[in-house]
Amino acid sequence: MERQGYVTDRAVATAVHLATTLGKPLLVEGHPGVGKTEIAKVLATVLQGDLIRLQCYEGLDATTALYEWNYPKQLLHIRLEEHGERPLAAREADIFSERFLLKRPLLQAITHQGRPPVLLIDEVDRADEEFEAFLLEVLSDFQVTIPEIGTVRAAARPAVVLTSNRARDLSDALRRRCLYLWIDYPPLDKELRIVRTRVPGIAERLAREVTTFIHALRRMKLAKVPGVAESLDWAQALVALHASHLDEELVRETLGCFLKDEEDLRTVTARLDAGELAALSSPL
Amino acid sequence: MSLAAADLVEHTARFCRRLRSEGLRLGPGDTLDAARALESVDLVDREDVRLGLRTALVKRVEDIPLFEELFERFWGGGAPVPRNPLVIPPDAEDDREKRGAASSRRRTGSDRQSVEEISVPAPSAREALGQQDFASFGDEELRAVTALARRIARRLRARPGRRWRHARRGGQLSLRRTMREAMKTGGELSTLSYRERKLRRTRLVVLADVSGSMDLYARLLLQFLYALQNAFSSVETFVFATRLSRVTEELRAPGYREALGGLSARVQDWSGGTRIGESLSAFLEGWPRLVDRRTVVVVLSDGWETGNPEVLGQALASLRRRAGRLVWLNPLLGSPGYEPLTKGMQAALPHLDVFAPANDLASLEQLARHLSL
Repeated sequence: MERQGYVTDRAVATAVHLATTLGKPLLVEGHPGVGKTEIAKVLATVLQGDLIRLQCYEGLDATTALYEWNYPKQLLHIRLEEHGERPLAAREADIFSERFLLKRPLLQAITHQGRPPVLLIDEVDRADEEFEAFLLEVLSDFQVTIPEIGTVRAAARPAVVLTSNRARDLSDALRRRCLYLWIDYPPLDKELRIVRTRVPGIAERLAREVTTFIHALRRMKLAKVPGVAESLDWAQALVALHASHLDEELVRETLGCFLKDEEDLRTVTARLDAGELAALSSPL
Repeated sequence: MSLAAADLVEHTARFCRRLRSEGLRLGPGDTLDAARALESVDLVDREDVRLGLRTALVKRVEDIPLFEELFERFWGGGAPVPRNPLVIPPDAEDDREKRGAASSRRRTGSDRQSVEEISVPAPSAREALGQQDFASFGDEELRAVTALARRIARRLRARPGRRWRHARRGGQLSLRRTMREAMKTGGELSTLSYRERKLRRTRLVVLADVSGSMDLYARLLLQFLYALQNAFSSVETFVFATRLSRVTEELRAPGYREALGGLSARVQDWSGGTRIGESLSAFLEGWPRLVDRRTVVVVLSDGWETGNPEVLGQALASLRRRAGRLVWLNPLLGSPGYEPLTKGMQAALPHLDVFAPANDLASLEQLARHLSL
């Protein structure tokens, strides 16, 4: 995984290893921006499979997650065949064939040919409970029944990664079906490695100051705690500005890279006004 | 299977039993997973064994500390226990015992009572079982509060959501259904079907503190609860001091005075001490189905907890997990210089979505903002 630019630790590596060897879905929980989604992407690269992503949201239902018939195309087809000689049954079989099926992510993952894909079910906590129940069904045997076509079974079981921000408690049934991984904010040295790996060309001093500063922010009580994603965004922005170290003006100009809440902006600006930049960005 | 491997499976199974006895919910499938996990890690490496078992057996981050502790005890010393991902107080274990004891006590206590009222183990010496006279309410005040409750109810009313449902007429053309219908006539479109957005409804659960320390505000708040109950049908109202009572039906009475009559008859401990945590736990146990993601839970209290603040924290944490939003209204928050320093408030704060004042009409007016999901 390290080779793919994902700085990892043993807990993550073990979880991913077990998920692939035991063939069970992996449920990844953690704060926003700690690299949950990234795990699936890296896994896809490592396994050399395609990544199929299902982004969950409230109100997500089977037609957007599994399949839907392509109605406009069907209608058109009916019109074209209207004066044809073929019997009704043949025409009907026609328009309910795979050509007219819109495969949504779950069905794509099941019917995928070639190397088993990686199915990422992102932010599953945002979908409703009914969808969770439906998901359980699909995850347990990787087969779906489409009334007009029949039962479709997965040729090769996809590797499944589910992520959750804990916006809602997931059911025990779903948890039981999965292996579990909790990702916390990384310790300073690990985050420093992440920044160095993902933002090539960053000055060593700048990388150190950025990560220390972000770590100091995480200890403050902020509404939206900056994650690793924010550290990276900020580091990238600073590199683009050709910065080699942090100074107060630069921090003020780029606050928006890692603070996403007005209240937080005010809190941090107040700390800067009090001349605490040095305290926040130098190692303890 | 070699002798050592058989031993290992046996040992793993015992470890799972141990975890189960400590409250982790594990099925036989999990034991199997654990054994399979051990097959694919480096058994000589303790760290590998620990992480492998943890991945297979722990299903939520809250359980990680317990796992680590038991792993240490069960698989013998060695490397130090790594730090836990979530800060959990060191006395987590006693706490669990206490909780277990409390809930069993509660269960036996409530068996003989009606479902409507769950009593919480008996309380402080100053539980004043007096009844209060509510007859002296100004009509002017009542009208103002009623108008306010109507405005709030309007904001809570059902709105179109994301999901679709079949509609008789109007709305959008539903191609899916229209196609289905057309199949019956060999592809000829004879009827059109429509769809519309499903309405999303917000429900409201109000848990109001009527203990002694809330006396000053009780008048205003009761009027408000009454008016709200009558303006908006999906409200459930509970009051508590040392015990919890459901007063939804009482508040639905046609007149305010009748409602008050019903209330005084039902609620026995007006102005007694406060056991917020236990009352909330009683609510969770007695009416578990009332709260879902479409529900806003409002707790009205000044946070003077005479019970155990930890119980309060736990009850709020589990309320928050289930509810769409958890709002705490504190009448004291309106007064200048007030800081929520009581133990109860301190235990509650980390779990709240909204913490707002409720000392006059203006602050209640603000409430509307927090109530629509």
